[in-house]
Amino acid sequence: MNIDYSKEDIIVSGRLSIAQIEDLIAKPLETKVDKKFLIALSVSVTALMIGAISLGFSLLYGTGLWGNNQPVGWAFPIVNFVFWVGIGHAGTLISAILYLLRQKWRNGIARFAEAMTIFAVMTAGIFPIIHTGRPWLAGYLFPYPNQHSLWVNFTSPLIWDVFAVSTYFTVSFVFWYVGLIPDFATMRDRTKEGIRKTIYKVFSLGWRHSHRNWQHYEKAYMLLAGFATPLVLSVHTIVSFDFAVSIMPGWHTTIFPPYFVAGAIFSGFAMVVTVLIFVRKIFDLEHLITIDHLEKMNKIILATGMMVGYAYAMEFFIAWYSGNQTESFVFVNRAFGPYAWAYWIMVSCNVIFPQFFWIRKLRRSIPVMFIIVIFVNVGMWFERFVITITSLHRDFLPSSWGYYRPTLYDFGILLGSFGLFFTLVILFTKALPVVSIAEIKAVADDAQPSHHGDH
Amino acid sequence: MSHSDKMWVKKDLPVRVQNLGFLLLGVGLAAGITGLFIDAHRFMMNYLIAFMLLVSIGAGSLFMVALEYIAGADWSVPVRRINEFYAASVLFIIILAIPVLMNMESVFHWAQPQAVSEDKILKWKAPYLDTTFFIVRILVAGGIWSLFYSLLSRNSKTQDLTKDQNLTRKNIILSAIFVPIFAITVSVVSIDWLMSVEPHWFSTIYGVYFFSGSVLASLAIVTYTTVWLKEHGYLHPRMTNDHLFSLGALLFAFINFWAYIAFSQYLLIWYANLPEENFWFIQRWEGGWMIMSILLIVIHFLVPYSVLLSQPAKMDPKRLKFASLWILFAHVFDLYWLVMPSYHSEHSTGFFTYILEFGFPIAAIGLLILLFYFKTKKNNLIPIGDPKLDKSLNFRL
Repeated sequence: MNIDYSKEDIIVSGRLSIAQIEDLIAKPLETKVDKKFLIALSVSVTALMIGAISLGFSLLYGTGLWGNNQPVGWAFPIVNFVFWVGIGHAGTLISAILYLLRQKWRNGIARFAEAMTIFAVMTAGIFPIIHTGRPWLAGYLFPYPNQHSLWVNFTSPLIWDVFAVSTYFTVSFVFWYVGLIPDFATMRDRTKEGIRKTIYKVFSLGWRHSHRNWQHYEKAYMLLAGFATPLVLSVHTIVSFDFAVSIMPGWHTTIFPPYFVAGAIFSGFAMVVTVLIFVRKIFDLEHLITIDHLEKMNKIILATGMMVGYAYAMEFFIAWYSGNQTESFVFVNRAFGPYAWAYWIMVSCNVIFPQFFWIRKLRRSIPVMFIIVIFVNVGMWFERFVITITSLHRDFLPSSWGYYRPTLYDFGILLGSFGLFFTLVILFTKALPVVSIAEIKAVADDAQPSHHGDH
Repeated sequence: MSHSDKMWVKKDLPVRVQNLGFLLLGVGLAAGITGLFIDAHRFMMNYLIAFMLLVSIGAGSLFMVALEYIAGADWSVPVRRINEFYAASVLFIIILAIPVLMNMESVFHWAQPQAVSEDKILKWKAPYLDTTFFIVRILVAGGIWSLFYSLLSRNSKTQDLTKDQNLTRKNIILSAIFVPIFAITVSVVSIDWLMSVEPHWFSTIYGVYFFSGSVLASLAIVTYTTVWLKEHGYLHPRMTNDHLFSLGALLFAFINFWAYIAFSQYLLIWYANLPEENFWFIQRWEGGWMIMSILLIVIHFLVPYSVLLSQPAKMDPKRLKFASLWILFAHVFDLYWLVMPSYHSEHSTGFFTYILEFGFPIAAIGLLILLFYFKTKKNNLIPIGDPKLDKSLNFRL
């Protein structure tokens, strides 16, 4: 392998012209749905339906259908909430943080990753609301003067979550939409007549691709990226506070905020890679979302995986070093107690398997990376399971120790959350350009004068 | 590369840089040593602060060098040598540790056998907080950092002559191996040399806290040096303020990162309010320390944050020089805030000793200036053989 470090990275391969790129991205929007699409959609809608039925029964008969018990009051709903919020983080990292870091390769994947953020946060939002048991009273989560003089507990990080997640969702959505405006205009100009044209017209807000348009756009985009960056970090930080402000052994530890953020990015990237592997194949986008892109994401998975591993090790060390008996007990119990199986799934999936990405060949091989990112997805779900369940099931009072077993309804709702997420993702691929046409053109060969001239 | 590019190669720095270095080193050492005669315990802890300042700048700079390689960054190539020069301070860590190692009982409460025998928690920690093991750990950490520094800088220097692209490849591999090892060693060193000053206290985020401060300090010293060298014509004429922007942006990012970590640590301990952890913050809220704690937020976060917030500020040479010196001071202030509340004095030593307390940190800065000065005598200020240099000089925002 000989890399010439003096050359600029090539982001769009295959020497595609600007027009070819546009055609390629617009194709799924301009062709009728095919069999593959319908099969994929029906599979995910089936999952969604199973979830809806499980949830429907839960609401009808009450949350007693779930496995939640004493002492494990926080179970699947919290685990799933943290899991899905975490998935969302990769999108903002790619679209906002990598943008501020001037990583041009992110242009090819930012749109898709950000859409996944929005869908993941929507999926995540369901869980705390249903966990309250009476979701029809969710309005009280927002503090407003009401005739009952009922106020939220402002000192609870759970209510900070409401603010953080809803702000995050709003900003992500606006950021995503602002990025879409030039593409809506492109689609409007490509579409002949009819309702589609009208829709594109409305959403493109009169965009004319003029210099003035672009000038404002660039400024707005930069500002939104600047807003989104602290927001994304704050969201998982506050999710970690849900656990860490308590005095529960295994939850109360100061490394939680950065550790949760790293874990969120880790799991989010794994999910983005999982989905992009299929998307680039099905929609012939291999020149826009290249192996180089996937390799770079795999490197980030490797790095964040090791950060998570660092946090596991540091927690263990300090549990001993602190000389705190309950803290040491919880960690020994995690690794060797009744939930040892979950703990070792977590460690092997999150820390051991990603180490294969040290080898260049493996992180550039589609089958290998597919297997590893699936492991990471599983491992990160189990991380939340381990944190939530193992700390609760054996707390300070041995007489009230217990064991948590999820029920079929728990699994049904979990399956349904995947169904909802993938249904939205699949519909998105047919409704909007999955790669930002405007942004990818900016990094195409023709837009890089330095590729040709010598200095 | 054209011939005109050679103009900046091997240009000697003015002698006044050397003089300034010797002056700061001399005055600083004189003040510090005078202090040692007044209150040995207190000034050994001061020495520890200066030592950790050098550790943070050495290790932090080495990390920045490695980061450039593994991230594949282009813009930073013309300033990488400056990082490399400062990273050389890791070579002195083991030697500079000796004064502390000879006065363990004065600095570390846990190193006093009598204290351990009376204290259940210290007995529990004795397998880790053990003088021999402690020395082994700093030898290993200092040794590893020196090894990676030597390999990385040797390859980089050889590349000046050979322009061999393979050396870049080698350094990328070395850096990738180094970064995880760095994460572990820097955490261990910060727990050993800073956290264990208060041996009962513990915090899992501590390694990250020290990491954030050390990267910030090394960024600050590199930024100041870059702007100074650029103003005096030592750097490449094709380098623009756009290159400075990245330094400013990184400074800004790490100011926020430090504040984020510091706030997380504080909030979680304050909220849970467990006596086994909160005493550390209570110590820093008693007497004069309350003002110091508030000042820490102002000095280490609010001021540099406001100074560097706007986009033009991040590429304004004047602003950057001010901000980087300020941040360097803030880092020393932070180290002081971490270490000194554990010093308990029986008698007041007066205002004069406060002045003397600047001694060792000033000596450390003098040492860094001299290190830089002598490094530039033998080496190019810019990695002229780096394959990415040309691309890097073309960098525009």
